[in-house]
Amino acid sequence: MKEVLKVEGLTKSFKLSKKQQKLENTDTKIKTAVKGLSFSAFEGEIFGLLGPNGAGKTTTLRMLATLIKPDSGDAFINGTSVVKEPEKVREKMGFLTSELKLEEFFTPNFLYDFFSDMHKIPDDVREKRKEELFKKFGIDKFAEVKTANLSTGMKQKTSLVVSVAHDPDIIIFDEPTNGLDVITAKVVTDFLLELKAQGKTIIVSTHIFSLVEKICDRAGIIIDGEMILCDRIDSLTKEKNLEDLFFELYFQRKGGDI
Amino acid sequence: MKNGTLVVFKKEMARFLGDKRLFFTTVILPGLMIFIMYSIMGQSMSSLVKDSVEKQYNTYIVNMPAVVSRLLEESNFDVTEIAENEIDGTKDKLKSKDADLLVVFPADFEKNIASFGQEGREIPYVEVYYYSSNMVSSAAYSRITALFDEMEQGISNVFDVNPDTENTMYDVATDEDTTGTLFASILPMVLLMLIYSSCMAIAPESIAGEKERGTFAAMLLTPVPRGQIALGKVLALSAMALLGGISSCVGTILSMPSLMGDVMESGDGMSISLSAYTPGDYAGLIVIILSTVILFITIISVLSAYAKTVKEASTLVLPVMLLVMFAGLSSIYSSEAKTEIYWYLVPILNSVQSLIGIFARSTGTVNIAVTAGVNIVVSAIGMLILRQMFNSEKIMFAR
Repeated sequence: MKEVLKVEGLTKSFKLSKKQQKLENTDTKIKTAVKGLSFSAFEGEIFGLLGPNGAGKTTTLRMLATLIKPDSGDAFINGTSVVKEPEKVREKMGFLTSELKLEEFFTPNFLYDFFSDMHKIPDDVREKRKEELFKKFGIDKFAEVKTANLSTGMKQKTSLVVSVAHDPDIIIFDEPTNGLDVITAKVVTDFLLELKAQGKTIIVSTHIFSLVEKICDRAGIIIDGEMILCDRIDSLTKEKNLEDLFFELYFQRKGGDI
Repeated sequence: MKNGTLVVFKKEMARFLGDKRLFFTTVILPGLMIFIMYSIMGQSMSSLVKDSVEKQYNTYIVNMPAVVSRLLEESNFDVTEIAENEIDGTKDKLKSKDADLLVVFPADFEKNIASFGQEGREIPYVEVYYYSSNMVSSAAYSRITALFDEMEQGISNVFDVNPDTENTMYDVATDEDTTGTLFASILPMVLLMLIYSSCMAIAPESIAGEKERGTFAAMLLTPVPRGQIALGKVLALSAMALLGGISSCVGTILSMPSLMGDVMESGDGMSISLSAYTPGDYAGLIVIILSTVILFITIISVLSAYAKTVKEASTLVLPVMLLVMFAGLSSIYSSEAKTEIYWYLVPILNSVQSLIGIFARSTGTVNIAVTAGVNIVVSAIGMLILRQMFNSEKIMFAR
């Protein structure tokens, strides 16, 4: 299997404000959110990053998406470094997170064209792909409605479609089903599986165990910015289910208290 | 190949032109407001002046000589003769606006005047009391002193100055010259302030606003280099600011006649002549305004990129507005452009000087070129800074 993503010793720390230091009851000014994280993801697989809130999942994904730079370590997408050649990485990568918003003034149609053009997609390819994707997600009927007037689900679908407008090799989803109703969530997970079938590599961060068990081929468990365990789902769930395994690891590390 | 700068430019323009309200508030409204404001100002000023000119002046005179009585007969001085012991009471009346003017002649005024030219004659005092807080009283005061001056000249005519104003133009300045002086003292500051405020209305929203709403990050995820995003934004914002600036200018020019009407009427037939300016002057004006708009937009964009919210950005751009205002004020105190080249090396100040030069029709092409060059170089440096800022996670993702 071809290795599409290779993460090597990613580390990222943030400065803590005085108030934050008090809140966390610590004297250290620097908080290390991600500590020397390493893992790989392969072609045609869905990789899950599983961890509680604040474990460093989002920070890791933002580093992979080239929005922030690691303090040390690097990640390679098809051999291209996210640190040294971020622009080249952005060509092959799609990133979807609730933090990134679409300009509410514009219509899905305009936004799709805009992001396609930003990725320098030829017009004929763009139109063909747009038609397919809009139809698949039912956006075609709302193509000329301002995003501000769309329902939450339709907004999320538009974001999803826009994030894959350039047909990326690797797609990174931060909490893809958060805040969605069961029907929209299913549409999204089905799409992830479809992308996988097309041979894309998908990185998903979540704290929902069932989602990982259902769609991921492999998963890594992150606690306090460190990768505790990383393996195939069937190996991870050989003896107990993912949830029990997670709690066991969590208590081992935290010494029994939550 | 699609160019990132062009794609960003088009998107910004679509945002601007597609939003009727935004277009109205940034392009139509400034010009309209200025036109209405200045017109009302001009009209109320002229009606105040008219009021004080046409009104009957309530005038109290002590020891009125017959010659003065004849002089005032056909004017709008409503004369009441009073005795000397009523002077203090009448002064109070001036304060309560029941009287507009109090004139006190010496008792032997007429006899004294008649002895004009004789040796040992005492020069008589005429005292005119008025209340300057009352516009009517002030107007009455200047009218009556002018009348008395005329009367005095009639008695002791030694020589006349400019006697034939009807047939001879004593002011050798042409209409073009007066227009130049008038415009050079007012327009540079007004123009720069209008341009700056229209830049201020657009740029913070487009940069700090997108940052605040999280839509900027989506753009940063595309392979388009940050420098191109910066350039596309700055160019689009400059185009919009230019539209706003043009609208403000049109409003200003259209309201000039009613604002300046009185100045022109009383100013010996001075009139504004737009033919004062050559195509070269207009070309210079366009070059200066364009380069200044780009400079302003770049400065405001850098400040907006630094700000976390639109609100913070609006506060950050105010000190620069003061700088623009101070630089602009220099035009009011000197209606002539500086000739030394170093004036044209300082951004903002160079625009003011160039504008003064253009309006006073005295600037050199070199100075305009230097100004435009400096503005473009400084803007380019600003855009490099902007690119670095767009690259900085601390600035783009700071919370």
